[in-house]
Amino acid sequence: MIVADHLRFFQPLLSQGPMDGGPVITGNATVYRTGHSNNCDGACGHLIHVVDGRVTEIGPAPWGTKTVSGAPAPTFHPRICLRGLSQISNTYNPDRIKYPYKRVGPRGSGKWQRISWDEATSLIAENFAAAQQKYGKKSVWIAPYTGSLALIEGVVGAGFRFASVIGASAGDSEGDNEGDSSTPAGWNYVLVDPTNPANGGGFFTGHESVDFLSAKAIVFWANNVAETSIPDWRIMCDARDASGTQLISVDPRFTVTCAASDEWLPIRPGADTALIDGIINYVLSNGLYDADYIRSYTVGPYLVDPSTKKWLRAKDVIAGAKDDYVVFDSSDGTLKAAGDPSVRDAAIFGTHPAGTTQAPTALQLLADMASKYTPEYTSKLTDIPASQVVALARTWGTQKPLAVRVGFGLSHWYHGDLHMQALLTLQAITGNIGVHGGGVTTFAGGITTTAFDFLNFWAPKGTTIYPLLEPMNFCDAVLKDDPYPVRAAWFMIDNFAQQMSDRNQVVKAMMALDFCVVSDYMLSATCDIADVVLPACTYLEKTDLLSSNNFYLQYMPKIIDPLFESKSDLDAIAMVADKMGVGQYFDQSPDEYLRQIMHLGQADADPTVKGLTWEQLTSEAVHLNTDPMPYVPFFNKQFPTKSGKIEFYVEMLLPFGQELCEHQEPIEASPTNPLYKKYPLVFLSTHTKFRTHSQFVTLPWLNEINNGGQGFLEINPTDATPRGIGDGDVVRIFNDRGQLKVRARLTESMKPGVVNCYQGGWDTIRVKHYIEGHPNNLTHQIANPAQALIPNFPSNAAYYDCLVQVETVKG
Amino acid sequence: VNVMAAKRDPYIPHHVMVIDTNRCVGCWTCAVACKEINNEPLGFWWNRVLTAAPNESTTAKPPASENIDVPWGVFPNLELAYLPVACQHCNDAPCVKVCPVQATFRRDDGTVLVDYERCIGCRYCMAACPYGVRIFNWGDAEYAPGGIGGYGKDYRYDGRLVVEPVRPKGVVEKCTFCVERIDVGQEPFCCEVCPIGARIFGDLNDPDSEVNQLVNEGGATQLHPELGTDPNVYYVPVRKRVVQES
Repeated sequence: MIVADHLRFFQPLLSQGPMDGGPVITGNATVYRTGHSNNCDGACGHLIHVVDGRVTEIGPAPWGTKTVSGAPAPTFHPRICLRGLSQISNTYNPDRIKYPYKRVGPRGSGKWQRISWDEATSLIAENFAAAQQKYGKKSVWIAPYTGSLALIEGVVGAGFRFASVIGASAGDSEGDNEGDSSTPAGWNYVLVDPTNPANGGGFFTGHESVDFLSAKAIVFWANNVAETSIPDWRIMCDARDASGTQLISVDPRFTVTCAASDEWLPIRPGADTALIDGIINYVLSNGLYDADYIRSYTVGPYLVDPSTKKWLRAKDVIAGAKDDYVVFDSSDGTLKAAGDPSVRDAAIFGTHPAGTTQAPTALQLLADMASKYTPEYTSKLTDIPASQVVALARTWGTQKPLAVRVGFGLSHWYHGDLHMQALLTLQAITGNIGVHGGGVTTFAGGITTTAFDFLNFWAPKGTTIYPLLEPMNFCDAVLKDDPYPVRAAWFMIDNFAQQMSDRNQVVKAMMALDFCVVSDYMLSATCDIADVVLPACTYLEKTDLLSSNNFYLQYMPKIIDPLFESKSDLDAIAMVADKMGVGQYFDQSPDEYLRQIMHLGQADADPTVKGLTWEQLTSEAVHLNTDPMPYVPFFNKQFPTKSGKIEFYVEMLLPFGQELCEHQEPIEASPTNPLYKKYPLVFLSTHTKFRTHSQFVTLPWLNEINNGGQGFLEINPTDATPRGIGDGDVVRIFNDRGQLKVRARLTESMKPGVVNCYQGGWDTIRVKHYIEGHPNNLTHQIANPAQALIPNFPSNAAYYDCLVQVETVKG
Repeated sequence: VNVMAAKRDPYIPHHVMVIDTNRCVGCWTCAVACKEINNEPLGFWWNRVLTAAPNESTTAKPPASENIDVPWGVFPNLELAYLPVACQHCNDAPCVKVCPVQATFRRDDGTVLVDYERCIGCRYCMAACPYGVRIFNWGDAEYAPGGIGGYGKDYRYDGRLVVEPVRPKGVVEKCTFCVERIDVGQEPFCCEVCPIGARIFGDLNDPDSEVNQLVNEGGATQLHPELGTDPNVYYVPVRKRVVQES
């Protein structure tokens, strides 16, 4: 453009350009709107400026002001953050995978030979067919994950359709390598009957983000929202500035969210349920509960058989009664079927005569269970001062509505299900579920609604839906043929070899595969183990639709042509499918599939998208028809449970002794664990604002801010000093599963006894963000069997339920 | 605000930026946005986000490490705040006074700009600036992948070259308040993108403007007011901080 010219100073002033000082308008950018479909839950809308076929500027995009049916949508600010703004250098990254490659050295050697798309897809088709013939159809495993949350090429996308049409198994559509499944499982225990086919095996949703504006208090539980979902923090600040909403953080780390909150409770990691039990006890014993709500919308008044601990059934204790729950009507002192219209005052507390026995109400059992969680005992378990426990309990009992925003960090525990069960129990007894400004929210949005017909997309007519093989079962399937042999795999938008817990075991299993394909736009640790690598597109190079974590439909047009020889995953799948004789399932355009998924223009379209036109979809980000608006789950108080009520007493958990939310110690990261003597530090591997999981790790703008991209261990000086560790020293973090070496960063933000190393940095053949290893060389895959009750959320990687020791590294 | 209109009209706005540090969470989005729109080379940050204590009079123990995001104090009694710092666009700007060639100049709206055609690279302005926000182009710049991004064009004010996508070797550069944007009625890009709404731009002369409210009633203060530079960047100080009972 303009070259350096030291002579320019000598040019007379005002010699160039318009004399009037007005703007010089040159060039002509075409501006597109799209959604940024990476997995950070921000689901930002981007305005993409294109000049001469090249993207030159990315900025925040406006949201539509109307719903599909034309009603006014909530005010929603345009949003973007440092990651979205850096996407130009992601797409134009010189380290992109430019062509298909096949492995030429030993697996994992990083030796590649460029091949054509034709050869690559033939190799895949042949090897998949060979594995299926020798080991059965399910021995091919398709693993499309959360690297994208778009509809066609994302965690709910075409990979599952491909699995169904070739009869392969596939990983689950919940995704995120399973660390995000335990709190959803707990959510379903309380709010959903997983055995009812109408519930589709369980679901998970939450409040629309602008609904937090209605809250009087917001509790961020293990939720570093100001760092990990930055634009949502604006809504919290708006609530505080407009209505004095109190912001409270519960976190073992002094995160920026804690710093920006009004209160911070520095909890012992994994003791979350104990704190909730302490609040439940205080609320119940100080009359701060919502009796009417408990009576109307929860199982609180229902009587429990003390011998079996199951629900007392009306047909067993009331002559002539139908099968129903039983309540004690205080107005006349008799037992009645819960549905009996003559019930005037169902007792919520107490133990009541029922035949030959005395039957307590479910709420009484909760109160009895929680009674030992006095502020002092709670303090002992949680390391939070008793006065702070009481203060939070008083807030919970007096500030209504109160909203809880839960990070998936709370899910990275063996008992993450219990944490969620406990939070919902507390929200139920304080009347905070199904109301504006209340609830327990981790994730919400179009993708969690009924707007999209995924089932028919995943299993088109004439095919059977793929068998689900959980990521947590992958290693056993490959190494032990349990539950069946897996010998070939295709990883898409998934960095499985690095991001899955117990990485040493995962890599061992991947190395044992007969054949492994990876689609990606960067050469990840997972690509390092592949036999064939396919160059994938970024979000700017393909057509899709994003409707995650907000209730807008963001059409994603193909803005620039795919760079080099990259192809969309849909196109890659179509080529392989064609060679496997099932090309007829992939012969349509992305636009056509989007029309099908939404039943666009059809009478049977879901009410949330009914009447949507193609023009509407492609001209702005239109809000779904939600009821109410902003969206609140269960606003009508119709709960899809067996009882139709909020089931804080969970009968199906009796075999696990978990029918009530009594605190249980973490499976590993507990002082009660004998291993704690050897490995006395709780190891967290949290998220940073400088990347999204393992994406965007090599972008120079972000790395210039973030320590050159190099990982580090956050450790409190109290833990560092006795170990001879100074700021910047190289340390070894280790346990029986593996080790990690990084430099130490001394910080008082860490609770003593807890250390943290941000996950997601790369450990590949070419890029090393840790001196040695990766946080997931330390984590495990111990699954909680209770979760198997919820078909869609059956297992969970408890990344944070992890103990380590740390020592200095000499030399 | 259109400067063309302003020139015909006697009315000249007084442009100021107010940063609400209660909202700032140190995410660096403003800094990255600045880098994008101005095509800043690698290693250049016209706008940086400093990690700070919520107030200057803190008695808390200094951070255990000099890295970003490390708080003051001792667990669990901690303090953490952020201070985004770019050119303060001083009304009485030391950089303007020391420039021997009048390359750095102040517009009537308060915006301080560098005329890249006049700058001789003497760097007096860098020595004079008490805020350390000016950067010198020592050599040929390197850029993040993707080619020239951002505004991508030259922009002249009063004939003077004040925006240039690729600044030549040997000139000093800094925040321009996105003059090419504000002159056509847009906000500076950092204000448009701030995900928390912490950065507000406007006309201090307008009694109804948000910036006027914040400066006159919201307690917004200037950085190092004792230096008498009279910046047009204001900061709303942290009102609340975590108070830990133990």
